[in-house]
Amino acid sequence: MPTHLTHLATCSPACTTRTWLSAPHPHLPILATACSDKTVRIYSLRDFRQLSTIGGGHKRSIRSCAWKGSTGSKGESVLATGSFDASAGIWRRWEDGRVSGDGRGEREGERDFTGGLAGGENGAEEEEEDEWRFAVILDGHDSEIKSLAFAPTAPLLATCSRDKSVWIWEELEGDNFETVAVLQEHGGDVKCVAWHPSEEVLASGSYDDDVRLWREDVDDWACCALLSGHEGTVWWVEFEGADGIYALGSQEELNEEQRVYVDARLKAGPRLISCSDDMTIRIWRRVPKEKPELPAGQIKTPSIWKNRDFEEEWVEEARLPQAHERPVYCVSWSRKTGRVASTGSDGKIVVYEEKWSRAAGVANGDGDGDVAMSGGGDAGPDMEDITAKKLKGSDGHKGGVTEWSVVAELENTHDVFEVNHVIWAPRADKGKRIEDEEVLVSTGDDGEVKIWTFDT
Amino acid sequence: MEADKDNVNPTIINPSDLPSRRRSAPTAKRAGLFDALAPAYPSLADGLSSPEASSSEPSSDEEPEEIDEQEVYDLISTISDPEHPLSLGSLGVVKLEDIAILPPTSARSRISTVTVLVTPTTSACSLTTVIGLGVKVRLVNALPPRFRVDVRIKPGTSSTAGEVNKQLGDKERVAAAMENKSLVNVVNNMLATCE
Repeated sequence: MPTHLTHLATCSPACTTRTWLSAPHPHLPILATACSDKTVRIYSLRDFRQLSTIGGGHKRSIRSCAWKGSTGSKGESVLATGSFDASAGIWRRWEDGRVSGDGRGEREGERDFTGGLAGGENGAEEEEEDEWRFAVILDGHDSEIKSLAFAPTAPLLATCSRDKSVWIWEELEGDNFETVAVLQEHGGDVKCVAWHPSEEVLASGSYDDDVRLWREDVDDWACCALLSGHEGTVWWVEFEGADGIYALGSQEELNEEQRVYVDARLKAGPRLISCSDDMTIRIWRRVPKEKPELPAGQIKTPSIWKNRDFEEEWVEEARLPQAHERPVYCVSWSRKTGRVASTGSDGKIVVYEEKWSRAAGVANGDGDGDVAMSGGGDAGPDMEDITAKKLKGSDGHKGGVTEWSVVAELENTHDVFEVNHVIWAPRADKGKRIEDEEVLVSTGDDGEVKIWTFDT
Repeated sequence: MEADKDNVNPTIINPSDLPSRRRSAPTAKRAGLFDALAPAYPSLADGLSSPEASSSEPSSDEEPEEIDEQEVYDLISTISDPEHPLSLGSLGVVKLEDIAILPPTSARSRISTVTVLVTPTTSACSLTTVIGLGVKVRLVNALPPRFRVDVRIKPGTSSTAGEVNKQLGDKERVAAAMENKSLVNVVNNMLATCE
């Protein structure tokens, strides 16, 4: 198998102890790395040098960190940190590089544009240390926080813990975070949380081997779906990008079965991916409850799939080819290319790609126009047939309308150490070759954060 | 205090009956297992691994050490039981025959696996998790990082084996446990008798 992953750089200086996770900033070329030395290191994605350290806030390892999304951030970067000390921290920093001399003094939403320091024009990543302001600490969990995530569609933060609970916090004015939900249905540590890209739906993965989905029902948050199947701790969950279907390529020249599948996928919305101690990586898809009243061509309106009924059914659509020999700790689903990367205890990084399966996709010659745009009220294979077919194919990558294959695999990526996290990030160094080029960022037990390029 | 112990009268193995290098010729031959692992660092040869990755490691890790089951046994048999002033070896909690070293699964992998099956002194031993944690911590600290350490309860010896196995296999829980001072103290006391 040809290897398409190439080591580009290692962020320096590296941490001397285990690093858990690296989160790329939503729009700046920087990374935040959660370290077991109780700090977060900020690295530049331009030159891979460390820019600053955020420390002093947690008494134990920082297990996870997450950026607040760009919308509504008003020129301020907001980072949340989750620690084994059971607390979450919120940290802030102005992006224009202008902070007052007394950074810790200004809080509560006040913005000071007058006390400017020099050097703002190069952007946030060029600044010196100490401009990160500790804003607030979120207490409530009984034991280690494992993961946290800001919602992309609302001012909500989710945290999860070994105490088996998921907490949802609403950000109010002036660094106040109000607990809006404490969700306790999981039977074990909650290892990870991830938000749906366009709906207020939260996914969580647990030590109880289950994935649960949560959303608000009238006034209360509750579990709306239980995704069972993994035979080991679920280490990571992540939703597909809102436009994930387009990763399959042109909508032209599709055969009947493929067109029906595209329709079914559009109705189902973004899928969910999960990886586990059982060494498998699974893709789950929502089962739409109603037939569309609109012609199938009217797409991109997920709102028509809002159901009165609260509970949702999700099915395992596919299982990625098994490439790992030890627990899989993380998967990352590129929002740009639809490719999935995985890593874990065996130190491998594996990249997978979804394509139309050959069995279903050979009949491209009979394409009769642009499926996505034409009002396809025609009869053809029923959506349920496709769903059933996909389900039967879930033992692997065969038999479905689409199939996943390994397109790159690299061993010993962090010497002999375990790799805890991998994520796609926009490429920002001078070697960037194409618009929208992505790199992979891996974070390991050796304390290193490594950058990898991927070539097709 | 005696009444609080799960097992007040454990069976104790005579020290002269414990396995050691001097008397166990068969295990010495096990070194041959590792002779078959060449080439040791194919990834460096084909450029898949960055040079700085390995240079950041201690030089002792540059060449694979030959480690066999007896050496693993020697590392963990001297660990003290948390409730008896006796070693895990003399209590039969760890046994040479319950230690297995698995070589890398492919020519390109450099990762070996050490599997240790722990036999609790009683089937209801509430300290099983702590004993397992002690064994795991000892091996993770003493063996080169290319070894993955899997500590499990010997099948059929504990009613809570599944639960304990899952905890011991969870790196996040083990990492968090090692930041818990009271647990660290217990484990340190157990390991204080190791060389």
